[in-house]
Amino acid sequence: MNLILLLVVVVAAGAVLSVQAAINGRLGQTVGVLRSSLVTFGIGALVTALLIFFFEPAHAVSLLDVPKWQLTGALFGVVYMIVMVGAVPVVGTAVATVAVITGQLAMGMLIDNFGWLGNPAIELSGSRIVAMVCLALALVFMYRSNARSE
Amino acid sequence: MQASSVEGVAQARPKRNILKLLLLPLVILAGMGLSMEAGLLGPLGEQVGHLWATLSIFGVGSALLFLLLFFSGARKGPALSELPRWQLIGGFLGPIYVVVLTLATPHIGIAMTMIAILSGQVGKSVLIDHFGWFGTARKRVNGERWIALALIVVALVLIARG
Repeated sequence: MNLILLLVVVVAAGAVLSVQAAINGRLGQTVGVLRSSLVTFGIGALVTALLIFFFEPAHAVSLLDVPKWQLTGALFGVVYMIVMVGAVPVVGTAVATVAVITGQLAMGMLIDNFGWLGNPAIELSGSRIVAMVCLALALVFMYRSNARSE
Repeated sequence: MQASSVEGVAQARPKRNILKLLLLPLVILAGMGLSMEAGLLGPLGEQVGHLWATLSIFGVGSALLFLLLFFSGARKGPALSELPRWQLIGGFLGPIYVVVLTLATPHIGIAMTMIAILSGQVGKSVLIDHFGWFGTARKRVNGERWIALALIVVALVLIARG
């Protein structure tokens, strides 16, 4: 796929994600984070199963054939959710957000650089570092703007 | 399928105590877990198909959450069936995000995918406020937010150039 098109799709997915987070946040406030997440995951699983049933082409390898460690992705998501439920009231949303993004980007860079987990190794280049600095600065400006409007 | 959200960046009510310092490494580890999840998804999607990889996340996630809820006892609050229907549509949006993760990480890497996702979140909130999309009140977007948006565009251009 064309790189620019792919990037547009990813940015759009980020926007979709924040719409989803907003809807789920409302739901979480009334029924609790575990129940709202179960709704999201349950409906997500059903929708994906329907899509597979009608659209996914056959593959030589199935989920049951790959090494089991490759299936542990969901564990990280659920652990993340539980940690955030416990930690956000104590450390505050702003600190928690910065800590999560820091961990995300640091681990992302490590996996990319060394090609861990079967990913293609992508060396950390100057432009990638500058991109990360730009994002960090953007978040600082967002934070200052949000802090002022309160 | 979770991801960090820039949305609540300013609603901070920090309590200063030792617990906070103890929790911080845990939160950073949780963030690292999100990249682990994305790192596992990319190669898995290439092997078994992107939708199957997505199903593994939602299937295992639902099963775990169901068990957690089942054994943690009764919950307060209204039953799901009493809630307005639109509050339940988050489940349709989640798979879009996960499928895109499995598509993108093998090509642009995990760190850059995460930057692009965060860019979408920041960009969305600035544009929605400015144009008043989705029935929100049209708010004046201040200079700082436009600078943030510009920085994000620069970051994306840098990623696109590789």
